[in-house]
Amino acid sequence: MIKQYNIKSLAVRFAQIFTQPLIAILIGLTIGAAVILIAGENPLNTYIKMFEGAFFSPFYFMQTLTRAVPVTVCSIAIIMAWRAGYINLGVEGQMITGSFVGTIVSIYSPLPTALTVMIAVACGLAAGALLAVFAAFINDKFNVSIVISTLMMNYVASYITSYFITFPLRDTSNDLAIQTKEIPDVMRLPRLIEGNTLNFGFIITVVLVALFVFINYKSNFGYESKMTGLNPVFAQYGGVKRRKVMYMSMALSGALAATAGMLEVFGVKYRFAEAMFTSTGYAWTGLMSGLISSLHPVGAFVTSVFLSGLQVGGQSVQRTINIPLQVATLIQATITLFVSIRLLAHFRAHRKSKIPKGNIKGKGAGDA
Amino acid sequence: MDTNFIAAILNSAIRSTTPIMMAALGSAICNRVGVFNVALEGQMLIGAFSAIAINWFTGSIALSVIGGILIGGMIGLLVGYLQVRFKAADMVVGTSINLFVGALSAILLFILFGVRGSFKNPALLSLPAIQIPILKDLPFISVLLRNFTAMDYFAYLIAIGMYIYLFKTIWGYHTLSVGVKIEAAESMGLHAQRTQIMAVMVSGLLCGFGGVTLSMGQVTLFTENMTAGRGFIGMAACNLGRSNPLLIILASLFFGFCDASASIAQNTIPSQLTQSIPYISTIIALIFFSRERMKKIKNSKAA
Amino acid sequence: MKQISKRYPNGVLANDNVNIDLNEGELLAIVGENGAGKSTIMKILYGLEHPTGGEIFIHGKPQVFKNPQSAMKQGIGMVQQNFMLLPPFSIAENVVYGSEPKKMGVFFDRKKAVDEVRQLSGQYGLSIDPTLLIKNCAVGLQQRCEILKVLYQNARIIIFDEPSAVLTPQEVEGLLDTLRQLAGMGKSIILITHKLNEVMAVADRCVIMRGGRHIATLNTGETSIQELSSLMVGRQIVDKEIPKLDKGHCVLKVKNLSLSGPAGQSIVRNCSLNVDSGEIVGIAGVSGNGQTELLHMLVGLLKPDDGEILLNGKEQSGGEVRTIRDAGCAYVPEDRNTMGAALDATLTETLLMAHQYKKELNRHGILNHKSAEESFAALLKEYNVLHSSLKQKSGELSGGNLQKLIVAREISHNAKLLVISEPTRGVDIGAMEFIHNRLIEQRSDGAAILLVSSDLSEILKLSDRIYVMYEGRINGEIMREEANAENVGILMMGGVRHDKAV
Repeated sequence: MIKQYNIKSLAVRFAQIFTQPLIAILIGLTIGAAVILIAGENPLNTYIKMFEGAFFSPFYFMQTLTRAVPVTVCSIAIIMAWRAGYINLGVEGQMITGSFVGTIVSIYSPLPTALTVMIAVACGLAAGALLAVFAAFINDKFNVSIVISTLMMNYVASYITSYFITFPLRDTSNDLAIQTKEIPDVMRLPRLIEGNTLNFGFIITVVLVALFVFINYKSNFGYESKMTGLNPVFAQYGGVKRRKVMYMSMALSGALAATAGMLEVFGVKYRFAEAMFTSTGYAWTGLMSGLISSLHPVGAFVTSVFLSGLQVGGQSVQRTINIPLQVATLIQATITLFVSIRLLAHFRAHRKSKIPKGNIKGKGAGDA
Repeated sequence: MDTNFIAAILNSAIRSTTPIMMAALGSAICNRVGVFNVALEGQMLIGAFSAIAINWFTGSIALSVIGGILIGGMIGLLVGYLQVRFKAADMVVGTSINLFVGALSAILLFILFGVRGSFKNPALLSLPAIQIPILKDLPFISVLLRNFTAMDYFAYLIAIGMYIYLFKTIWGYHTLSVGVKIEAAESMGLHAQRTQIMAVMVSGLLCGFGGVTLSMGQVTLFTENMTAGRGFIGMAACNLGRSNPLLIILASLFFGFCDASASIAQNTIPSQLTQSIPYISTIIALIFFSRERMKKIKNSKAA
Repeated sequence: MKQISKRYPNGVLANDNVNIDLNEGELLAIVGENGAGKSTIMKILYGLEHPTGGEIFIHGKPQVFKNPQSAMKQGIGMVQQNFMLLPPFSIAENVVYGSEPKKMGVFFDRKKAVDEVRQLSGQYGLSIDPTLLIKNCAVGLQQRCEILKVLYQNARIIIFDEPSAVLTPQEVEGLLDTLRQLAGMGKSIILITHKLNEVMAVADRCVIMRGGRHIATLNTGETSIQELSSLMVGRQIVDKEIPKLDKGHCVLKVKNLSLSGPAGQSIVRNCSLNVDSGEIVGIAGVSGNGQTELLHMLVGLLKPDDGEILLNGKEQSGGEVRTIRDAGCAYVPEDRNTMGAALDATLTETLLMAHQYKKELNRHGILNHKSAEESFAALLKEYNVLHSSLKQKSGELSGGNLQKLIVAREISHNAKLLVISEPTRGVDIGAMEFIHNRLIEQRSDGAAILLVSSDLSEILKLSDRIYVMYEGRINGEIMREEANAENVGILMMGGVRHDKAV
């Protein structure tokens, strides 16, 4: 009897967790279909092509997984800060800065390889973390909104690295592409399967997600940052050091963002190139998977694979059918928007019991 | 440095100010009713795109302007409805609307014009420059006011109008009361939620206005993500202007000047560096003025 | 002349078939315990909530109030418990809110508003400066502003919801005078309260409610406090005898503690006090006289400008919350929803707060959820907290249960000093008695308890010693034997004790 009951309640919970995102996905695909129809193509056909080109062939599925690596890491970077109540919209900038620094160090370091790798990774992580910590610092000292400052730094990071790779650090062997030289062969992450871009970075990602789950649900830091996100006054009252949580979670968020960028450089591209992160929108896709999964890391991982599939599928559709790649982004944004209405459903139930704030409302709102 | 050069810089600064000021006023009206609107960027981008699209298909400046503003307002209405009526989380709605509009405009750019990235065509009409009799013949002033469009002037009227509305009229008092204490407004029988949604819609109209001046003002073209963070810079300007329309004019002029100085410095410094000036100066301004504020608090404490 | 009757079976927390009638110029009291349904029925009359059955008649005509606006049109006004005032605006702006004098049709004529409000306040003898900003007004003045607001709307029926809850005994006197005066001028007044002496002092008739039901309507001239209270509670209340204890050692000693606000105004001035083990020390005072800030300094949430805090003889002034807690201090904050709990967190997470550093739950930064859950389950059972699961969100608990949970969490620290603020605000009488008994037990076990409450009867019931705070300073100290509502009330108003030097 007891067991049966548990299965039933499990099924109910399962349904509660997954129905809403599924409905949101359905709506997202519908909106996408409308746009495809306007473009004069057959939506069903396009979607079939899209999913074929993303999930239903081993080669393309591995492409999808390759893309999911930076997206997933970006999403946990965002979740790390957001669950503590700090909205880091600067993951893109931290990703750019971290991977740029990591790449440059590994190309130009005169030290032996092993040392260079360690120093490059450490510098990259530190650069990403510092950028995020700077935003936390000016919020702490001058009450500057983290939302605005981190977003502004995306542009700054993008333009300044662009300057360096256009002029002093450019690979002059190629006149067309604005990029750095390649990193040494020995520093590249090994491919998992010959002839495909899927590499060791995927395994690192899985480990990071597992580690993240452990930190969030088992550690005292995870507990304190969650409480700070839900109600900072309550956390402070219980002896949690709010500023420590803020700096820690922003630093980890920035370091994770840098990791995402470095995994892309060391695993796939082997160099830092102009707009390699802005045009691909990894950070924003990561943000959306974090939100769709209501800040749950495992959910974010699954969602990241799905959203990456949409993008990879979008790319292949763009090649064969006349549909711009952005259809994927459009669908993703619609899904996120409609999942936000799920948050409101639980929000509403709460409102009745007189709860002032929802858990996903972050620091941004307070800063306004 | 001759006076004409200074006038040219100021001219460029003031023209760059208009879109930022519109976003800032949009942010202000939302703040005043207690709604945090992060979708300003998207509201502005859709306005910029719609203006160019309507411009191309109708060849009417009036329709482009009105269309751009109204479509911005529609997105605002959607944002307001989701955040206020459905209590959806502000940051989630804001970021997804921004991304949604970014993608939508890119797709429509391709569907309607068959191009990717950017659309420019000599057949597109620009906003006409306004010639003010007498002033256009004065030496310094004529350069300063060169190529100003009606919308550049109108923007200031909007700011002053918003000030009068908020602080001098009864409706403005009611609007403010919604932001101060929503229960009090409701207990007086005001439709607090409706007021909030309307305010967000107005922010959409204003951002739409800003978007139109962006795509049909100094240049006449549409580029993907051409707003380039101006919605967020507008939020910063609103923050510095303490949500007061008159102070916002000053704050926006500052950011407009940074924007303009970026394009002027481009001749001597690599553009990659100059382009980051507006964003760096936004961060610095937010730091600087908050410190000023803290000093003030300290001084009054000492007194 | 007016007959208001209504009935509604309303699911869970209902008003069940309540009939009330009110005459012109009459002062009708509605009494009942927390949760008896007094406020709900008045909210229905005022259009804030809608009845599921029944009707309202005014002058014999049936009325339907969709919202407060339509109730106001029929001359019904309400002075709510939580003031509906706009703090950044002036009294005049607040009074005319909703029907402002106009200039040229659209502009707000603020000058005229000031004149009208001045005239109105003269007419009803409620002296007030219309240009003061609400945020600079004391609570009593704010209430006066609320009354003027209702009068400005030309209300003939005025509902007062627990108007004396926030006032000092002397301010209450003034309020009762105002009520009498308004009734004398032909206004019909409904007074919702659970303070029976006020009822006996001013009301003509009295409606008693219990558990959402109308129990009786009595003429105050023909009844007594005893009869009312037994009708109200449904049983006789027996005050629990508090055992006498020998004097313990000093646990908390505070010397000359001071704090200023951001604008330089003094919030807490030179407060000195001490609490011994086995003693409950009450701090009485109208809320907003620096009690909250004083406690926040004691527990480390605010840094004092000056002064000493000695906990078990060790200086703690300006220390971190965690250090002070580790030194043996637990704290039940006044507001359970904003400080005492995170309403979106699970019960386990809510209970874990400030326990997460304990060795048995935290090994090198990793939490032992299992053993935490086991001990929390036992704790909730002991404190009789009604809940469905530890994974439930704390916001889903009723106010009384959440309060018991917070009290349980803090008491389970077994701290030498328990700082507790408004422990029974907004909880039902069962939970209140339960919490009081727990505090008395703790006292018997040798804890030092510092109790802040704006409910004077609670302070008088529990405290061995009472400090009274007024405008940030300690305005007197009274021992249990000498304390009564009157001498404490005078000190709460900033007066001095005449009977005896402290």
